[in-house]
Amino acid sequence: MPRKTGFIFCSTVTIILMIMILLPLVVVVLGSCINASLLGLSTDIWSGSRHEIFDFSAFGYILENYGDWAVFSLELALACVVLCLLIAVPAGYTLVRHPFPGSGLIEELAVLPLSIPGLTLSMGLLAAYGEIRGPLLVMAGHLLYTIPFMVKVVTSTLRSFDVGRLEAAARSLGASFWQRLFLVVLPSLRHAMMTGALLVFAVSWGEFNVSFLLNRGQPQTFPAVLYDTYTNQSIQISSAATTIFLAIVIPAVVAIQWLGGRESVDVEQGA
Amino acid sequence: MNLPASSIPISSGGHARERRRLAPLLLCAPLLLLLLALLVWPLTHLLWQSLLPTDAPDSGITLRNYLEIFSVPRYRHALVWSLELSLAVAAGSTLICLAPAWLFTRCQFRGKRLMRGILTLPMTFAGMIVGFLMVILLGRSGFIPQVLERLTGQPLLSGISYQFPGLILAYLYFEIPRATLTLESALRKLDGRLEQAARSLGATRWQTFSLVILPTICPALISAFAVTFSVSLGSFGVLLVLSIRRFTLLPLEIFTQYIAPPTDQGLAAAMSLTLLTVAFGAGFGLRRFARSREVANA
Repeated sequence: MPRKTGFIFCSTVTIILMIMILLPLVVVVLGSCINASLLGLSTDIWSGSRHEIFDFSAFGYILENYGDWAVFSLELALACVVLCLLIAVPAGYTLVRHPFPGSGLIEELAVLPLSIPGLTLSMGLLAAYGEIRGPLLVMAGHLLYTIPFMVKVVTSTLRSFDVGRLEAAARSLGASFWQRLFLVVLPSLRHAMMTGALLVFAVSWGEFNVSFLLNRGQPQTFPAVLYDTYTNQSIQISSAATTIFLAIVIPAVVAIQWLGGRESVDVEQGA
Repeated sequence: MNLPASSIPISSGGHARERRRLAPLLLCAPLLLLLLALLVWPLTHLLWQSLLPTDAPDSGITLRNYLEIFSVPRYRHALVWSLELSLAVAAGSTLICLAPAWLFTRCQFRGKRLMRGILTLPMTFAGMIVGFLMVILLGRSGFIPQVLERLTGQPLLSGISYQFPGLILAYLYFEIPRATLTLESALRKLDGRLEQAARSLGATRWQTFSLVILPTICPALISAFAVTFSVSLGSFGVLLVLSIRRFTLLPLEIFTQYIAPPTDQGLAAAMSLTLLTVAFGAGFGLRRFARSREVANA
């Protein structure tokens, strides 16, 4: 009986939390294209003088004025994914499989940015490299902020199954170090790399503090579009910008969940 | 097959052995260089900057900037408010998110993955976005006040997003995924059979909770608290959108210092390093404490 009351209590709290998370998102997404009065909101504040039932003009406005900002942000996120894969995957492998004096410290250092406020990190970057303030420095900030995720995913996956045994088998069959890396280790990390890549993409796309401080001039990253519309534009245009933001980030988060679910199943089966 | 991997020779000769040792180092080098260039070096720079007074950089090292944080009321309040808000939010989100975390680890039901997906959604939202969402929901003409006005004829809850409860709610919004995931992964390691054993030995529900469940989930609670505390402490985006009169946070002070010149570089550096010390120190200390508890339980 106590299990049942516990279940009811926990699911009630969870459902309330879900509503709290979803409700503003639903209002924003609907409000970006539907007349606000249909949602029970006052049209004057929401969209000014417009009164059509469906109105996609706000999206046109965003794409027209901030299209290149969105492209810049996407390019930045993709570049982060590629660089993180190139840097963190080999390093993660080495840290787990071939530890050397100080490798523990490197691993700690690699996940350190997650527990440091982004503001402090970007001020450090400005203090050291202030003269190259601009897209390059934004890239550096994003890399610093996304690489911990990739390192974490790779090292925890490598620790979750006995990759050493697979490698030993390959070695006994005469595979060289690089052959083992490319034919045994990397294929078994495929899943982790996909999860890591999606995480890196989503984090980079949603990052605001670091990019805003480190950038100079235009284009800025997409969250800066949001900041710009929140401070200067009508709620409808702000909602349209937020909807575009969500349209990119939600599929990524959903895919991470989907992959993550499979991963935990794999780990359980392996244990 | 149980030989340690390193004892199996690749080939004869010292040359291959040398290469074997070199290759892993080579693979790790880019990460190490990146961390040194983008993390260690900039933070050292920042530390140096914080120790020099901005108006007289040649007068040598001083702690004046740090003392200013505690002596100027505006900055002192910002620090205290930051600590209070982060403590409240960390405690609140840890306790509330025990429910979904427990649900996700102990119960099997349809739609679990969907629920989990929804709860982790705000993970990558910048604080500023959450601020906007709160305006939409609870602002002066937000969704909930307007609907309530239609239902009851009175503008209930109107503009609550611009007050302290609204701020707490906004911080909870983006701490929910962090707290839930941290608690979930910690709870997953626990053995559910302990509870059953305690119950079968005649323990009451309260005894089971206070003597078995609480001590075992304590490390999980501490690590979730640590994570949410450090994230809250560094966040200010919510306040960029929901400015509350006569209220400020330390990171917001730093941000405005940097955005609106004249910038007091040394002071801003000192403030951001204070922030780092508290956020990292609390996180690190609490996590170590949690780990020692975990070992003690095992």
